[in-house]
Amino acid sequence: MTTAPPFQFPSTYSFPPFFTPQPNSATRTSQLQKWSSLVQSWCRHHRIYRLTLSDAIESPLFYNSALRKRLSMKDARDVLDWMAKSEEEGGGGQRAEWIDGNSKTVARIWWKRPEEWAGIVADWVENTGQKNVVLTVYELIEGEGAMSQEWHGMDTDVMLKSLNVLVKRGKAQVFGGEGQEGVKFF
Amino acid sequence: MATRRGVGIGAFANRNQTSQSYANHGATLRSAHLASLQTQLSVFQSLLHTFAIEHGSKIKSNPTFRAEFARMCNAIGVDPLAGSNVKGKNSRKGQGENASFWTQIMGGDMNDFYFEVAVRVVELCRETRSENGGLIGVEECRKRVGKGKAIGSGLEVTDDDVLRAVKSLEPLGSGLAIIRVGSKQYIRSVPKELNTDQSTVLEVIQVLGYVSISMLRVNLKWEEARAQTVVDDLLADGLVWLDAQGEENEYWSPQNLLDDSG
Repeated sequence: MTTAPPFQFPSTYSFPPFFTPQPNSATRTSQLQKWSSLVQSWCRHHRIYRLTLSDAIESPLFYNSALRKRLSMKDARDVLDWMAKSEEEGGGGQRAEWIDGNSKTVARIWWKRPEEWAGIVADWVENTGQKNVVLTVYELIEGEGAMSQEWHGMDTDVMLKSLNVLVKRGKAQVFGGEGQEGVKFF
Repeated sequence: MATRRGVGIGAFANRNQTSQSYANHGATLRSAHLASLQTQLSVFQSLLHTFAIEHGSKIKSNPTFRAEFARMCNAIGVDPLAGSNVKGKNSRKGQGENASFWTQIMGGDMNDFYFEVAVRVVELCRETRSENGGLIGVEECRKRVGKGKAIGSGLEVTDDDVLRAVKSLEPLGSGLAIIRVGSKQYIRSVPKELNTDQSTVLEVIQVLGYVSISMLRVNLKWEEARAQTVVDDLLADGLVWLDAQGEENEYWSPQNLLDDSG
C-alpha cells in the first residue's frame, strides 16, 4: 500500500444492501458489475495485482466498518468468480483469474487486461525509441526508465503474460531462463 | 314616410340594400380587424424571433432563463412542444405553416435541445434499468443528465426540461411515462403499474430511507402477510434492494445509487 491519496469509494459503497447478494437476478447482475468495477479501481489505486481473499475480506474493500457491513468469504468469492467469467458466459469479462485453481483463495485482478498492458508497453517502447533493443524484464518493471509508467513494480507474471501477447503478434521476442528473462521489441 | 316604413315593392329592394351594406361594412370591419391582428401577431412573432436569436445561446445554456422563456410562451398560449412535434425541419421557408413554430423561431435549435435531453433520458433509463427496476426519480435523472458521461458533455437542465423531454417522446410511443409517488415524480420506463400498497411502501422509503416488515406492521397496521407480499413484489421487480445483514431484513430504494457507476 502506498501513501498516495486515500481511495475514493463510490457511493454504492455506503449503500447497505450492496453487501447482501440480491435475490432478483437483474438486480444481482447490476450489483456484480458494481462490485467488479469497485474491486478493479481499488486494486488499481493500490497497485494490487494479486488479491488474497482472506486478507481482502478484512480490508476496507470488502468490509465497510462505518456501516458494519461486509461481504462474507463466500460472497466475495462469488464476486471474483463472476469477474473471472467471460462476458459470453454472463460474467464480468475475465477481470479476475484464480491463481490457485479450485481452492480459490488468491486471484489475479486484471484491472488492465494483458492485451491492454501489451498495448501500453508497446507504445512506450515505440515512443522512447527502444525498438530492437534488448531489455531484461526486470529492467522493464523496476528500471528507472519506466519509473513513471503505470506498470512500474508490477508482478513479473503479469508482465510476462502481457509480453506474451506481443510475442503472439510477432512484435516481441522473449528469451532466457526463468527469473532472467530478456525481451526484444520489433 | 313611405321609404321609411318600407311599404310597397321598393321596400324589398331597400331592405336588401341595407342588409347588403351592413354585410359589406361587417366584412370591412372583419378584414380590418384580421389585418391588425395579423400585424400584431407578426410583430409579436418577429419580436419573439429577435428575442430568441439574441438570447438563443442563453436560452440553451441557462436553465433558469429557459424555464422563464418556456413559461412566457405558455402564458401567451404558445406550446413549444406542440409546435416542435410537427415534422417541419426540412420544409421551412416558403411553407411557413408547415414548419413548426419553434423551428421558425429558434431555427431548429430548441427542438434539438429537447430531443438531445430526451435521448439522454432514454439512455439513462436503459442503463439503470437493472439497478432500479425501471423507475428513476426525475430529480436523479436531471442530476445525471447534468453531469454527462464524457468530459464537457453535461447538459444543465431543470426538472421541467426533463419532463418536457419525456413528453416530447410521447408521439413515438416510447413507453416512458411520468408517475407520481408521494411527493416525488418518477420516470417509468417499464410497462408496470404500481398498486396502492406498493406506492405506499415506496413513499415510506422516500421518507425513511428504508423499510422493514415490522416497520410496515407498526406504522401502517398491516398484517405481516400483506407487508411481506408487497415487499416481495417490489423486490421481484427490482424496485428495492435487500439488506439482510441487519437484525431484520431491510429494504432500500436504489434511487440514490445513481451518483456514481461512471
